[in-house]
Amino acid sequence: MSNVVLKDVHKQYQHTKVLTGIDMNIEDGEFVTLLGPSGCGKSTILRILSGLTDATGGTVMIDGKDMKNTPPKNRKVGMVFQSYALFPNMTVYENVAFGLKMHKKPVNEVAERVGRMLELVGLQEKKGAYPHELSGGQQQRVALARSLVVRPKVLLLDEPLSALDAQIRKHLQVELRTIQRELNMTMILVTHDQEEAMSVSDRIFVMNNGKIAQAGTPSEIYTQPKTEFVANFIGRYNVFSKEQLEKLFGTNIAISAHKYAIRPESIHLQSRVSSYPLRALAGDSVMNGNVIRTTFHAGDKSFTAEQLHHRASAFERGTEYQLFVEPEDVIALS
Amino acid sequence: MKKFTIVMLILIGVYLALPIFATALYAFSTEWNKTILPEGLTFEWIRTLFQDTRFVEAFGRSVLLSGGAVLLSILFIVPAIFVIVLYFPSFEKWFQASVVMVYAFPGIILSVGLIRFYSGTSLPMILAVLGVYVISVLPYIYQGTRNSLRNVQGRQLMDAAELLGASKIEAFRKVLLPAVYPGLFVAALLSFSVLFGEFVLINLVVGSRFETVQIYLMSKLSTSGHIASAIVFVYIVLMGILTLVMAIVTKKAKGMTRA
Ligand SMILES: Nc1ncnc2c1ncn2[C@@H]1O[C@H](COP(=O)(O)OP(=O)(O)O)[C@@H](O)[C@H]1O
Ligand SMILES: [Mg+2]
Repeated sequence: MSNVVLKDVHKQYQHTKVLTGIDMNIEDGEFVTLLGPSGCGKSTILRILSGLTDATGGTVMIDGKDMKNTPPKNRKVGMVFQSYALFPNMTVYENVAFGLKMHKKPVNEVAERVGRMLELVGLQEKKGAYPHELSGGQQQRVALARSLVVRPKVLLLDEPLSALDAQIRKHLQVELRTIQRELNMTMILVTHDQEEAMSVSDRIFVMNNGKIAQAGTPSEIYTQPKTEFVANFIGRYNVFSKEQLEKLFGTNIAISAHKYAIRPESIHLQSRVSSYPLRALAGDSVMNGNVIRTTFHAGDKSFTAEQLHHRASAFERGTEYQLFVEPEDVIALS
Repeated sequence: MKKFTIVMLILIGVYLALPIFATALYAFSTEWNKTILPEGLTFEWIRTLFQDTRFVEAFGRSVLLSGGAVLLSILFIVPAIFVIVLYFPSFEKWFQASVVMVYAFPGIILSVGLIRFYSGTSLPMILAVLGVYVISVLPYIYQGTRNSLRNVQGRQLMDAAELLGASKIEAFRKVLLPAVYPGLFVAALLSFSVLFGEFVLINLVVGSRFETVQIYLMSKLSTSGHIASAIVFVYIVLMGILTLVMAIVTKKAKGMTRA
């Protein structure tokens, strides 16, 4: 339960710059997500936080204390790995008890705390099993319990759920969030799955190419993407250049920007006084849950529009439609 | 077609097993000159062999030399492999190059080189051979150690243990070593059995001054076929046991690391 601060953190391997000036400020008890494509440096940030890798430059502070000369074992930072990293020659119980034994806790305290932790993750009956006898989801619960039982100040989770299938993943996301609230623990989750990030976090740091592209609450990130990268990565935003958009609307756009983003669901059929009009040819439609997504073509530019299911069949393939967009739904990107 | 395959397999199997079987049979036969099968069976040769102190001593020397070489290898080379594979993977190519070099030198050239280089010095030649043995099992030790480190994701186990409050030494002793132990054990047994059968180097460089089982066998070949067969039989049984142990350990380890 602590706050975590990164100031201008850099990391370089021989000739490749992996992190270039990372600034993060994470509150006590906050659940934040590092979201970004593979290779953008998410794991590197976690490794630097935990002390497993040294930063090339910058400061890492936990609880207001500079971590520069604190080795991993004294940082009180827990970590859960994508591949679980359970100790193969130890039982579930021994795995979870390992950290407490390393901290020289008395036997009865170890037994009690391990027991309670196994209860929390629902694995009491499996305490005598070896890791290879468990399913992926169960193994990840053991890994979680093993990290939590030593009561770290911060828990780092490096894509802990991405090796699991969709249903178990959803279930564990909810469980993780519940446990986090219950313990009021600061957690930093790394993921490349934007839905996962949206559904569990207090705050999201979107990363690209060794930099933080944008930070904010899920709804801020979703409704006000700042860059083309965030717009593309977070939602299925349509991104236009100024010329493309002015050609499409047949009018000048007041706000001047490099690129513009329009969410698929804000392209509609009803005209209002201030609406920008556009004409486009309907292409294929795809059903996704209760949403129908249609691809439109206008000149050489394609974009998508989404409607709720009950209004479906509105867009017929090969027909030209008159569509509208509200000015406030045109988001200027930098 | 299928029948043909099976018949061929059986034939090949018989072809390969026949010499071994015949040798074993000869080690237990009384007379086997004019008949297809031996005239009688006896434990006489095996008993003679084990009553011969020369054999027992040679056996002891072989075990000492091969075992000692493997032990030194584990003590000095394995820690280096651990550190390189876990923390300096970019240096692994140098290790791989030295592994290839071990294969590149034929025993005969190695022996001549050793004699030339060390015969003028006060270093006993047997120690020179021991040194070569320590290095020559590098391929087996290296492959075995590296593969089991990869299988158990050694670096991550170390990281996980350290974040739970273990020092590097504790993480190594309590987590990593037990996890890679089966692979290490198999590599050691394999190395031992390879060294146990080595003949060229020891014979050329040291010869009868340090009589190992292989050299003893060589000397018996010209005197008693029965005794020689008995030696080979004992040797095969020993290798069979080692192979069996390796198979069991490997199978067990596979079950452990399967995620
Ligand atoms: N030990 C290393 N040596 C050299 N480059 C590395 C090392 N570890 C990571 N990298 C590089 O750093 C970049 C970021 O890696 P990582 O933090 O693992 O990304 P992510 O977790 O976001 O997928 C990658 O391009 C990767 O190749
Ligand atoms: Mg990663």
